[in-house]
Amino acid sequence: MKRKAFKFGSLLLALVLLVAGLSACSGGETEEQMVLYTWEGMFPQEVLDGFTEETGIKIIYSNFDLNETMLEKLSAAKGGDYDLVIADDYIIEQAVAQGLVGELDKSILTNFQNINPLYQGQFFDPENKYTVPFGAGIPLIVYDPEAVDFEITGYSDLWDPRLEDSVAMIGNYRVVNGITLLSMGESMNTEDTAVLEAAGEKLLGLAPNIRMIQDDNTQNALLNGEASVAFLYTSQVTTALAENPDLKVVYPEEGLGFGIMGAFVPSAAPNAAAANKFLNYILEPENAAQCFNWLGYYCTIGAADELVNPALVVPDSVTSGEIVQNISADAEAVHNKNWIDFKAACGA
Amino acid sequence: MSKPSVGTKKRDFWWMCVVPLYLFTLAFILGPMIYMVAVSFATNNPSGYGFQWIFTLENYLRIQDPTYLQCFRQSFELAFSTTALTILIGYPYGYYMGRLSPKGKKLMMFLVMVPFWTSSLIRLYGWLILLQAKGVLNGLLQALGLIEDPIKMLYTYPAVLVGMVYALMPFMILAVYSSVEKMDWSLVEAARDLGASPVKAFWTVTFPLTLPGLLSGVILTFVPSMGLFFIADLLGGNKIVLVGSLIQDQLTRGSNWPFAAALAVLLMAMMTLMIVVYRKVTHVSELEGRL
Repeated sequence: MKRKAFKFGSLLLALVLLVAGLSACSGGETEEQMVLYTWEGMFPQEVLDGFTEETGIKIIYSNFDLNETMLEKLSAAKGGDYDLVIADDYIIEQAVAQGLVGELDKSILTNFQNINPLYQGQFFDPENKYTVPFGAGIPLIVYDPEAVDFEITGYSDLWDPRLEDSVAMIGNYRVVNGITLLSMGESMNTEDTAVLEAAGEKLLGLAPNIRMIQDDNTQNALLNGEASVAFLYTSQVTTALAENPDLKVVYPEEGLGFGIMGAFVPSAAPNAAAANKFLNYILEPENAAQCFNWLGYYCTIGAADELVNPALVVPDSVTSGEIVQNISADAEAVHNKNWIDFKAACGA
Repeated sequence: MSKPSVGTKKRDFWWMCVVPLYLFTLAFILGPMIYMVAVSFATNNPSGYGFQWIFTLENYLRIQDPTYLQCFRQSFELAFSTTALTILIGYPYGYYMGRLSPKGKKLMMFLVMVPFWTSSLIRLYGWLILLQAKGVLNGLLQALGLIEDPIKMLYTYPAVLVGMVYALMPFMILAVYSSVEKMDWSLVEAARDLGASPVKAFWTVTFPLTLPGLLSGVILTFVPSMGLFFIADLLGGNKIVLVGSLIQDQLTRGSNWPFAAALAVLLMAMMTLMIVVYRKVTHVSELEGRL
């Protein structure tokens, strides 16, 4: 009797262990994951959670500050490690050139036609093979009409001596050099070094008006009274306006600088299928609208235009914007020098 | 190295303890340095990304450009003023701290160490809140009726200086304190007995005896102040380009590793030279030791 009980007990134990082992195995299988690599705060948590709920794929959110950091890491990983990257247009062109970008899987991307064609066929992906545009930005001038006693209409006004020590600037050298070029009637992408040197010279004249240069949360300087005028990225413009609706936004008369963020799947992505599924998920109009309302960038998913905050749908006049593109090494060198000279002149 | 009484087995054991340390130093300190020096003589890829192993001096010649020279000038100016201010405040502080009762010493040491419990970046944000236009200091001055409109304190050179001195002060205080604490005060008493005035006794006895502490404090503040560019970025609004931020800029945005390496090598060479000169001038052979 005792022996039987023992036998039965050990059988039971073995069974329990077997079941436990099996469930542990299957538990490992459902832990499918994808690594999303982009700036901090690009997605509302509900969208990320919604995707995990629908597909069971866990999202690991990894972030970078600068496009260049991303390119360095991706290049060090030979296009691996990350499943989906969202970054700016010009860096995507470099990533494509280095063979770090894989083609999209259109068989999974059934919502691909939801994209607003205005943002497609751009220089970084002329055949729409690699990227899903995800938000467009237009750096704009915002000012506090109470602190500025004249009307600002364009970039040239930033040079006005009445704005001494009161302009907050984003720290993007191509954009800041670019608006100097636009104010001179030149293209932001000119490769003529003589023109670029002249722009550098002109930029030095802006230095006395600069209160501070910063790339993150630049709008705070405007909101806490450190600066009365700010040249800001789109998301910062939206944040500033939400905080203080009395601020005035200027669509500069010289023309607009335009930037598009794009999502791509790296060439050696460990889980490319999951990345494509995620892209398809955010191309759904409801999900896209949720994303753009959160992000505060111009909506690039046309199918979501009706659902999104109307302020984030591009006005007709904006289509003439120029995108900052990669330029020759010589031109780039002048840009670099202009920028360091400018920053040093600001501190002098 | 080993005392005669120590047996062979123990010596072997000692040897095994040290080898990993040497290997670590070779692999992770000397190795990267050699790599950096090598990269500083490489040619940057004209396409803008990466570099080629073709020997060139161009990276070093490029530093002569006034644009980059002024970064070195600004960095040195800031480092000098920071060090001078930390001496001015830190030396008396460390000196009096060393003369306190054991209980007082403990309390002061505690007060110096407390800020280290918080990340230095967060402490800098504290300064932002203090100094900004609608911040604490301006609010206080306005409430007292001393000023009408807020003073622009943030994003100026003095703001950066305040941040640097604040961040580096503990190193000066602790270095001076440790040498004051070790000092033999009977020497000062002897000088006083022999008729020296308190001031003369300080300059002829106390000061030379605490000089090694002061100098290690100088090196502990001067060397890092060349690299603490995030303070200049945050409190100075990115308007002062220090060598540290120039190097970072060239590594990331500028995408010119050989040039960044050349800048770093030059900076290190300057620092080394400075430490050698300090030692020669002051005849201090051991930074922490006696004269």
